[in-house]
Amino acid sequence: MLYRVMDKRELPALVRAFMESYEVVAPVKRGSGYVFDVIGSPDEIELDYTQTDASPKKYLMPSTETLMRFDAQMNLVDDFTEQVTPRVVFGVHTCDINAMNRLDIALIEGKYVDPYYQARRDATMIIGISCVPGDNCFCHLWGADEAQFGYDLFLHDIGDKYLVSMSNVEATNILEAACEISEATDEDRIAFRQATRARQAAFNKDIPDVQDVAMLMDVFHSDPFWEELGSRCLSCSACASVCPTCFCFDIRDVLAPDGKTGERVRTWDACTSPGFAAVTGGYNFRPTGRERVRHRMYHKLNGFFVNHDRMLCVGCGRCVKACKTGINPIEVLRFFKRKGADHAK
Amino acid sequence: MGAFSLITDAERRVPRVVVVGLASCFGCQIQITNAEPYLMQILGQIDLQYWQLVTSEDMPDEFDVAIIEGAVTTREAEQTVRAVRERAAHVMAIGACATTAGVTGMAAPGLGGRVGEVYEGAAPESSGELIEPRPVSAVIEVDSEVLCCPIDPMDFVAALQRVLFGSNRLPDTRTLCSDCKRNETECFYNDATLCLGLVTRAGCGARCVNLGRPCNGCAGLSPDANVEAARMACATYGVDVAAFDKALEMFNQVNPALAESGDE
Ligand code: SF4
Ligand code: SF4
Ligand code: SF4
Ligand code: SF4
Ligand code: SF4
Repeated sequence: MLYRVMDKRELPALVRAFMESYEVVAPVKRGSGYVFDVIGSPDEIELDYTQTDASPKKYLMPSTETLMRFDAQMNLVDDFTEQVTPRVVFGVHTCDINAMNRLDIALIEGKYVDPYYQARRDATMIIGISCVPGDNCFCHLWGADEAQFGYDLFLHDIGDKYLVSMSNVEATNILEAACEISEATDEDRIAFRQATRARQAAFNKDIPDVQDVAMLMDVFHSDPFWEELGSRCLSCSACASVCPTCFCFDIRDVLAPDGKTGERVRTWDACTSPGFAAVTGGYNFRPTGRERVRHRMYHKLNGFFVNHDRMLCVGCGRCVKACKTGINPIEVLRFFKRKGADHAK
Repeated sequence: MGAFSLITDAERRVPRVVVVGLASCFGCQIQITNAEPYLMQILGQIDLQYWQLVTSEDMPDEFDVAIIEGAVTTREAEQTVRAVRERAAHVMAIGACATTAGVTGMAAPGLGGRVGEVYEGAAPESSGELIEPRPVSAVIEVDSEVLCCPIDPMDFVAALQRVLFGSNRLPDTRTLCSDCKRNETECFYNDATLCLGLVTRAGCGARCVNLGRPCNGCAGLSPDANVEAARMACATYGVDVAAFDKALEMFNQVNPALAESGDE
């Protein structure tokens, strides 16, 4: 990894340089929160955001996208490649970079490659930025408070300057052309270490750090806790919509009004939706909130871990805000902590 | 029932369609005309035999697909929909009135007294024999539905195509908030404002929230709605639970699920 240092005042120049050849999306203010959106000027960027309400996943896997076009009368399928906009996602936190890496595992690195996702991933540059955790953040519990890869540049805030990790030649060239950059000094390195320590100390200590979560998920699989938690699920799937790592989808054929041609469309779906696990014949193997919420937490905190050695939750805290009835991984951690305390008695 | 399947290949013909209006504002029928750029294409796919909004003729006796707008509010309407059911291979209910009893449903509790408030004495004979407003599905089996008040023209077109060409798509029962989150608008509950998205069926794409207004629940209560949990959410976010229950009545007054949950 290469590191350089740039002056913070040069940030607008860097953004403008990206804007010359890319669509640049970045966190901007909307209402009382933040969203990732296309910017028209570097001034719109709010780099101090704690968390956006929804994740930048939408740039890799939009909530609705066309997979192919067909002619129902001629029974023909068109070759279809969506025009992918070359894009820079600017100001991404480590949780979301780790989330994209997990999406890669599911959608690119497995047996079957998702070509739509891959086309977008390949056309997207990720410029990361360090952050200060908010009350709902718990990325550190899953090792997602650091991004080891999955970005093109990463800007570590070290006061008046950024220590920039560079892992892509093109992004580095743009950076070098747009900004005065220098070698990191010992002073910079000390500032970096201090910033990292300050950040680590800033996590909400009320969120319990529990060991062996994946194993505990199995141990307490039949605990009444799941009924308690699941019985208050609204079946809305807001959690999955905002989650940076939920990748489930539904596929639908949509006819044009003439009834002759149409599109096959993919749209987000989620295991918290009541019909998600309904199969032919009408049987639903996750018929109630208990099974659905438990499944969601299992995929996040057990299933993916067992297969890929890391959690599918990156602790971004978005579902903590989005779920109106307080269903989220933190509640699961609290439950395990209570259980641990009970057993210690 | 999905496709237009009661017709065998031997008898295959352009499906004969009727559009029937019951107690409603006729807004959903008007919405069909708002699919204007595509109307000719749509008419080219069906044999439109009767459209109540645009004719003074009587409904024909034979047809394949019946599209019903409006709530059932009279004994006569009840007979009409039963007769329609006997003849139609597919019955589609469109709009909140037909699918939930909609706004007309608000008249259901204490109907007798309300008649007296509106008319001096009894309702005129031309009103028919009034019964508590109810959705079409409370009287006959309905094969497909287009939700909302009013319907979206293109939702209607899509639903009609499912009837004409078949579809194995199941109705969505999840509630609105997931769609709303995709739009990345701010949730009304963040400033303690009531919104019925918590329990209302998804499908409209959170149209009202996109326009800056809370959801009124016009798509109807989801069969999977968790009203108890939604009340709890209201309490958590400082929204008056009684106001939530009251707001739910607008489009769900006669929904048995609400009566069961001790709403009255
Ligand atoms: S867990 Fe919460 S956000 Fe997710 S579907 Fe249930 S109520 Fe909605
Ligand atoms: S489960 Fe919740 S905290 Fe975990 S990654 Fe998804 S939205 Fe973030
Ligand atoms: S938690 Fe549910 S919706 Fe999200 S990725 Fe897993 S199975 Fe899919
Ligand atoms: S604004 Fe309404 S529909 Fe949107 S998330 Fe909030 S409660 Fe749900
Ligand atoms: S947001 Fe609610 S009230 Fe508005 S159209 Fe959708 S379901 Fe109806």
